[in-house]
Amino acid sequence: MDFSALNDALASKSYDQIADICDTLMLQVSSQGVIFQDEWPYAIHLLGHIYINDINSARFLWKRIPLAVKESQPEVVAAWKIGQKLWARDYAGVYEAIREFNWSPEAQGIVASFSEFYTKKMFELLVSAYSTISTQDTALFLGLNADDAANYALQRGWTLDLSSQMLTVKKQVVATEQKLDSSKLQRLTEYVFNLEH
Amino acid sequence: MNSVETLVAQIQGLSGSISDVNQLHSLLKQSEDFFQSESTRLASLLTELDPSIHSLGYLYILEACTSAPISKEQASELVLSVARFINLCAAEQIRLAPDKFTSVCKRFKDQVMLLEDPMRGVAPMLTAIRKLQLSTEHLTTLHQDFLLLCLLAKCYKTGLSILEDDIFEIDQPRDFFLYCYYGGMICIGHKKFSKALELLHNVVTAPMSILNAIAVEAYKKYILVSLIHLGQFSISFPKYTSSVAQRNLKNFSQPYLELVNSYGTGKISELETSVQANNEKFEFDQNLGLVKQVVSSMYKRNIQRLTQTYLTLSLQDIANTVQLNSAKEAEMHVLQMIQDGEIYATINQKDGMVRFLEDPEQYKTCEMIERIDSSIQRIMMLSRKLTHMDEQLSCDPLYLAKAGKERQRFDFDDFDTVPSSKFTI
Amino acid sequence: MEAEDEATGQMIEDEEIYVNGGGDGDESKRHRPIISGEQLDVEAYAALYTGRTKISRLLFIAEKCGNASMQLDALRMAYDEIKKGENTQLFREVVAKIDGRLGPNYGPDNAWADAVDRRAELRKERLENELNAYRTNLIKESIRMGYNDFGDFYFAHGQLGDAFKNYVRTRDYCTTSKHIVHMCLNAILVSIEMGQFTHVTSYVSKAEQSQDALDPITIAKLRCAAGLALLEGKKYKLAARKFLETGPDLGNSYTEVIAPQDVATHYASCLEYLGNLKANLLLDIHLHDHVETLYEQIRNKALIQYTHPFVSVDLHMMANAFNTSVASLEKELEALITNNQIQARIDSHNKILYARHADQRNATFQRVLQTGNEFDREVRAMLLRANLIKHEFNLKASSRKH
Repeated sequence: MDFSALNDALASKSYDQIADICDTLMLQVSSQGVIFQDEWPYAIHLLGHIYINDINSARFLWKRIPLAVKESQPEVVAAWKIGQKLWARDYAGVYEAIREFNWSPEAQGIVASFSEFYTKKMFELLVSAYSTISTQDTALFLGLNADDAANYALQRGWTLDLSSQMLTVKKQVVATEQKLDSSKLQRLTEYVFNLEH
Repeated sequence: MNSVETLVAQIQGLSGSISDVNQLHSLLKQSEDFFQSESTRLASLLTELDPSIHSLGYLYILEACTSAPISKEQASELVLSVARFINLCAAEQIRLAPDKFTSVCKRFKDQVMLLEDPMRGVAPMLTAIRKLQLSTEHLTTLHQDFLLLCLLAKCYKTGLSILEDDIFEIDQPRDFFLYCYYGGMICIGHKKFSKALELLHNVVTAPMSILNAIAVEAYKKYILVSLIHLGQFSISFPKYTSSVAQRNLKNFSQPYLELVNSYGTGKISELETSVQANNEKFEFDQNLGLVKQVVSSMYKRNIQRLTQTYLTLSLQDIANTVQLNSAKEAEMHVLQMIQDGEIYATINQKDGMVRFLEDPEQYKTCEMIERIDSSIQRIMMLSRKLTHMDEQLSCDPLYLAKAGKERQRFDFDDFDTVPSSKFTI
Repeated sequence: MEAEDEATGQMIEDEEIYVNGGGDGDESKRHRPIISGEQLDVEAYAALYTGRTKISRLLFIAEKCGNASMQLDALRMAYDEIKKGENTQLFREVVAKIDGRLGPNYGPDNAWADAVDRRAELRKERLENELNAYRTNLIKESIRMGYNDFGDFYFAHGQLGDAFKNYVRTRDYCTTSKHIVHMCLNAILVSIEMGQFTHVTSYVSKAEQSQDALDPITIAKLRCAAGLALLEGKKYKLAARKFLETGPDLGNSYTEVIAPQDVATHYASCLEYLGNLKANLLLDIHLHDHVETLYEQIRNKALIQYTHPFVSVDLHMMANAFNTSVASLEKELEALITNNQIQARIDSHNKILYARHADQRNATFQRVLQTGNEFDREVRAMLLRANLIKHEFNLKASSRKH
């Protein structure tokens, strides 16, 4: 089995491509009649799906994994645990699942990258969903202890009321660059003109 | 009478240009019986042929080989060689004998299933479809086999790629049912409920003269997906549904229709009672997973309804109205809905309140222009297709013959030119 | 006979009616209003009416009042009233309802009943003979009066269907507009008693066509009848208007159908007042079925109007005004908003109601995109179905060829 594409992606930290590469390779190898299950990098494959937030595919992959592999490769089980927590929306549990396992060198890169990415996504969620939130809950969402969580937030412009341990969220005004395509506007204008006459 | 050697020589010799291949094709067709009788001998000669250059000849031989019964040991080898052939063959050549090609592929699928390794067939089947199709709008008889393999192998994502194509041409009407049904199931697996609804709807409303089991099962899932995605279900069928479906489908879906009624009350307790009462039937139909999703969708609907009436509301009130156990649970539900983009709101933990917001979309961005523009483009394309089909039909002799028979019943003015008159831009 | 009595006069025999035009001058007693929160004074209430409606109303009260002493009171008065008339069937019914509870004076009286029935037979025979005579002589006016008498006869005996038929028969023999109006009023009266309000509406319009024969009182009567028909048809707004139009002209001239207080009652819209009235209104024969709905609608209308001019409304103040708690007010408002009767949203935290003006532009864009999607889906499905039909079609065609 030719894992060069996968290895390249891992080496270049193009983690968002792992899932596709693995899927395609698996189908290809399977159609060639090769018995691949024993050597397959299921943990990386699962993490690849998790990385792009395709928990559905991670679920189906887990269902395909032979029992023997599940029983003999703890890293595979550990990787799936992260997926499970995401599926159940156990926001804090995701961090636990990440931290409680001693990841192999191959997996460390993608797990660490995912962890950072996940924290960032969680923070963005808090910013959009909350106006005030306790430091305790913030800590759970960010996978940090209460003090670190508070600092993380304060650094990004939130304010803290020490007596109630309540953080007030600072909303970010997102200004996206508008690349105006005048040809499209032109076309739309023509449609309207035509319809009105 | 051909000998095996001459045949091989012919294949090798006449695979160069298009005219050669056409000639080969007629020769091959004439030798049908020969293929059947000499299949075992011909099999060994496949080694002398190159599937990518001699695709048509190779196909004929392969088809003859696969029509004979084979042992399990041979099955694995056969599967491999067919897979190889599919990957290497030249699309233009195999399209000259589509029936043979599909026959080979269908038997390939059967063998793969016998070997209990559906995944083996997924990639080759996809390739086969792409080579057989005249365009991506074309539904081949292989689509449903491919989707079935995806379902069995749990390769849902690969199945989705085929489902993204818009279909306008159908080879065989009966393929359509399974394509839509399996397709619906794959979409459900990836929570693409809108597309699932569309596919299941097509099964239920497809023209049929007798009721088929696929439509019955599709209807059940249709009801459930409709509740999940739209929060409601209408028991009346669209006008164009076949009378056979209108008369019979509901009779097979009683437990599901009961679920619709209890869903309509808006009360979780009623819904759960209904689920419990029919639990076994749902399990038997393998729809329990969907039913669970129906239940959780009700919480969402109820919360969404609140956003229409309230500007702010306490988490405890939400919990009470929606029948959740605690304010914290309500908070988690609201948070998940915000995360999924199902409502716009902010949670205020200090006061235990939620503030519901308006959709921030202002329809002023470039992306929006893009969306509207592409939507218009699509609609114009569809409109053109409609007009084209209308024109074709007006010239179709069979249609005219039938319409002509009924002509004396109608006046000229009675002929309705909808839809094209309604939808032309 | 006086003009105003003409309508009532030929209804029932002789001295058996209470004609309210003249009479005993005890005006104050008769005009005591029922628009109060006190328990209904059945006697005073009944005194407002005459004829069959008096009996029907008494029986209705007896059935719905839920209070034994009031019930017996009403039944007693009904008994007395019926005995003044000729309706033996109704008599038997009342006796059964009283069930001996009022002593021997209010029990079955077969002697009376038989006498009435015998008299009725004789009278019927006489009327038949007279009518035949008139018919032979072809004197239109006599024939008309003959049928009219028959109508009165049947009405008195509780045979409403026959009464109606006979009144309507007079139509062919009416020579003046006044005759027609007379017939219509009779038809209306019977129809109300029968609960056939479609007839009421049609005969009201018929009568209204004879403009020249309509004096103010008749017009008022017609409006009243029309109002009742609308009320029955749940067209409350229109009914209210009709009753309003009735005005004071009615006076006491339509007591065989309705009392002037009723007209005012049916329109009243003061909340607190209404609350108190409710119990008594439930005993009114025409309002009973509609009281709850009317109340709800009146309250809703008040709620809607209260919020209408404001951008924001303090819920505490509003709850006070509507004599309810903030929590239940919130629920009421929630229902109104869900039904789209108020365009607003509730700030439950601060207990304020905010008017909500939908952003038309955004809504339009949303609809446009949605329509686009629907069109997309439906046309594609249509093309597919056409494709399928074509196949089936071709299959059939080719199989026929072979």
